[in-house]
Amino acid sequence: MTAFLDSIGYGSWILHVLVLLPMAGVPLILLAPERLAKHLAMVVATLEFVLSLGLWWHFDPAAGMQYRSTLAWMPQWGINYTVGMDGTSLVMVLLTTLLGPVSVLGSYKYITRRERAFYCLLLAMVTAMVGCFIALDLFVFYVFFELMLIPMYFLIGIWGGTRRLYAAIKFFVYTFLGSLLMLVAIVVLVWKVAAVTGKLSFAYDDVLRHISAAGDAAPWLFGAFALAFAIKVPMFPLHTWLPDAHTEAPTAGSVMLASVMLKIGTYGFIRFAVPFFPSVALSPAISALFVVLAVIGIVYGALVAMVQPDFKRLVAYSSVSHLGFVMLGIWGLTLQSVQGALMVMIAHGLSTGALFLLIGMMYERRHSRDIAAFGGIARSVPILSLLLTLVAFSSIGLPGLNGFIGEFLVLLGSYGRYPWATGIATTVVIFAAAYLLWAIGRMIYGRLDKPENEAIHDLSLRELIVLAPLVIGIVWMGLYPGPLLRRTEASARQFIEYAQPGRSSAINPARVEVQP
Amino acid sequence: MNAIDLTTPVGIAKALLPELILAGAALVVLLVVAWRHRTPADSRLAGWLSAAGLVASGAGLAWLWATDARPDGLAQMIALDSFRFAAGALILVSALATVLVSLHYLEREGMLAPEYYPLILLGTAGMLFLAGAADLIVLFLGLEVMSVAVYVLAGYDRRNVFSAEAALKYFLIGAFASGFLLYGIALTYGATGQTNISLIGAVLGVGAPSLLARMGLGLLLIGLGFKVAAVPFHMWAPDVYDGSPTPIAGYMATGVKVAAFIALTRLLVEAFPSLDQFWQPVIGVLAIATMVVGNLIALAQKTLKRMLAYSSIAHAGYLLAALWPGTHLGASAVMLYLGAYTLTTLAAFILLGSLGRNGERAVRFDDIAGLARRRPWTAIALAICMLSLLGFPGTFGFIGKWYIIQAVVASHQYILPVILVITSVISAGYYLPVIMAMYMREPGEEAEWHGLRLPRPAAWVTGIAVVALVVFGVLPRRAIDVAVQSVRQLARTEIPRAGR
Repeated sequence: MTAFLDSIGYGSWILHVLVLLPMAGVPLILLAPERLAKHLAMVVATLEFVLSLGLWWHFDPAAGMQYRSTLAWMPQWGINYTVGMDGTSLVMVLLTTLLGPVSVLGSYKYITRRERAFYCLLLAMVTAMVGCFIALDLFVFYVFFELMLIPMYFLIGIWGGTRRLYAAIKFFVYTFLGSLLMLVAIVVLVWKVAAVTGKLSFAYDDVLRHISAAGDAAPWLFGAFALAFAIKVPMFPLHTWLPDAHTEAPTAGSVMLASVMLKIGTYGFIRFAVPFFPSVALSPAISALFVVLAVIGIVYGALVAMVQPDFKRLVAYSSVSHLGFVMLGIWGLTLQSVQGALMVMIAHGLSTGALFLLIGMMYERRHSRDIAAFGGIARSVPILSLLLTLVAFSSIGLPGLNGFIGEFLVLLGSYGRYPWATGIATTVVIFAAAYLLWAIGRMIYGRLDKPENEAIHDLSLRELIVLAPLVIGIVWMGLYPGPLLRRTEASARQFIEYAQPGRSSAINPARVEVQP
Repeated sequence: MNAIDLTTPVGIAKALLPELILAGAALVVLLVVAWRHRTPADSRLAGWLSAAGLVASGAGLAWLWATDARPDGLAQMIALDSFRFAAGALILVSALATVLVSLHYLEREGMLAPEYYPLILLGTAGMLFLAGAADLIVLFLGLEVMSVAVYVLAGYDRRNVFSAEAALKYFLIGAFASGFLLYGIALTYGATGQTNISLIGAVLGVGAPSLLARMGLGLLLIGLGFKVAAVPFHMWAPDVYDGSPTPIAGYMATGVKVAAFIALTRLLVEAFPSLDQFWQPVIGVLAIATMVVGNLIALAQKTLKRMLAYSSIAHAGYLLAALWPGTHLGASAVMLYLGAYTLTTLAAFILLGSLGRNGERAVRFDDIAGLARRRPWTAIALAICMLSLLGFPGTFGFIGKWYIIQAVVASHQYILPVILVITSVISAGYYLPVIMAMYMREPGEEAEWHGLRLPRPAAWVTGIAVVALVVFGVLPRRAIDVAVQSVRQLARTEIPRAGR
């Protein structure tokens, strides 16, 4: 496989193609007739996924950052389009490209008006997300980070539920505030580094190498980065945009939002915030703050999820809880906990994506997302019920399914450093079981007491195809996580190495005037 | 390089080529309309003649720029540097767009009085003088020529009481501001014995600045502060923009602002660099006040035109922030942002002009609900303008804002950029509802724009502007290079300073 891929020069063009291909689909869809829009989008998204699959084999688990490539953009300002990929990027990119065709196919029936615009926005979002995960230039990362907002804003605002306008603007303003402050931090950081090196460069490596130049400003800069990413994750108490955005978004929007966009927050911590400012991020006060907030997020998300009458909102709050585990794992700073955090990111992407798709399918049948609107549907729709149960189990963290691996590793790896926090987080797994089991118990099992639920039909072939890759991923990752762990190990080690406090106090800043 | 001897009449004529062509064109158009001013066709003729005059003037400017014209010796009255040429190009673009849009607008609104086009040409000539002034007297003359023409244009819709109010308000406050400016010029002359901007810089660079010089600078800042509508001198701007005919509002929000900001930049960078301890706090406070007040009040607006008026105040705040460092980098940020702002605001006002009648004062956010369905091209153009004003990546507005942040950060100032981005987030609260109304809501029963459309020349102008916004947003290298090169010849006396 690798030999074949090498023979077509796969490594040299794949990252550029992955970014450009979805975007190239946009004019294609705009020019084609409206009824072909979804099929074209499906073709483009599937092609994107198939192309990205090669990375799984071609990627060298032992090496660090690979597939580096640089194109000049604004070289006089040290801004270049630099991309590259390590294990973390690899799994996130694959998750994104997998969810592309899934959410396109999942929207075939759900979206009935302005289809062209819908699929264009969905593809544009894939471009921005892939770009975010592979950008190795702070400016480029920022641009992709922002570009994600607009498609999502329109997806929520045009095809969303009844309170869509409110949810859309809330989502936008929250994330925009965080990211703009990060832009200022990026510029400040780059100029501070330039004062030492004498050369303006937004390149990730240059900044990382001379990060000690940040000096006294480091806490402020970390604060700006952390705020941007914490809003995206979202960490308690910055999470309030999430339930609204999730609940109002159309299914594909929810899937993309939960499965990929939230991960960009945690990815940002792993890639930028912590490696840049380890002495701030891991200082006792700040790490205590983040661990406490992570645990509050875990507990709070689970407790609030328990009382939601709306199943979609329940899943949204469960995301807050799951992402708390990721944050705990990042701050745990052991190989297990960091790899566990990455596993939770992937597992949450698969399970929550599947949950949102299933909710969307149920909504298409009953036009309600209320748990109370269902009951005993296992009799009328056995396949749907079976899959929903399976996915719920994976989300709970049942051993043998994907959710378990990550949470277990996080708890194992973080225990040494934060025994109390880990202890509390462990008990919450019980809550997670409670809210999901309780909800699906009321929806699926019991008596089929509502006549309108008797007539609903079971999953169609298309819907099975939509769910199949996610379900296969859930089971496969639960039973055999070895390949994933092997591919992320090097980058997890690299992260831990970067995150050693005091790593970077060696270079003595000398003032050099910068004249670009 | 094309060295021009400014002591000979031929040399001066060469140096003033764009202005002379423009003034000549104004006179020709004035003569033509003296005989032909009865039918819409006559008005159109005057419009096309004016457009031709602007293009000819632009050709003159391009010749100076392309041959890299430089003064042979000291620039006595008029600057010959790329800073003037780049600003002149922006001003001419703004004027040309205004003329092309007015062709149909005047007919639609029944404003066929013939003086409209000559006034635009004269006002534009004034702007060119203001932006190119190397001497305080020329600066004042340019400002007055520009202002008098624009006062009349603001009140051009005679039957509209708001237009009359706009003109009167603008005139009274403008006269007041001119008084400040003139007094400032007098005091500066008193302190230095010079009216030439570079010579003032040279004189002030030696020894401690006198109280007189500082007072002169303060009064100059107030005078120009009125013209750029910086808070707290902004009171006139919303009413004036709101009451003026929409193309004129666009012209004022762009051309006047470009000219005044260029003059202000030249003054601070060339004449008063040695007083930066004195003016930096003033500009900083003005910038913060303008950003905060402009954005917050814009948030409360219900009509598009008033929102755009307050948004243009907010953008003056961003530009003041760019002015704060007083460095070449800061000056190039001013130039770049003026470019982004001019293109975006022009396009936005032109689009607004096709969404209502009677000066478009009544177009509320609710009225454009569902615009994307009926007029998709107008909607997407307006959406891109809003994103550019917001400073969203992928648009020219973002490049401008990033560059301002960079220029200010390079001078080790961190409060201004933080306030800049926070107020930008606030601005999402009024730019996004425009997009929201157009795309996310259903069309209403009867909206004024139902019977209207964007006529041909205006559509070209908007199309070009919007495409440029995206192109410069994605591939900004050329635009940044122009901005950087435009400030190279600004004579800034570097003041070495300890403790920075």
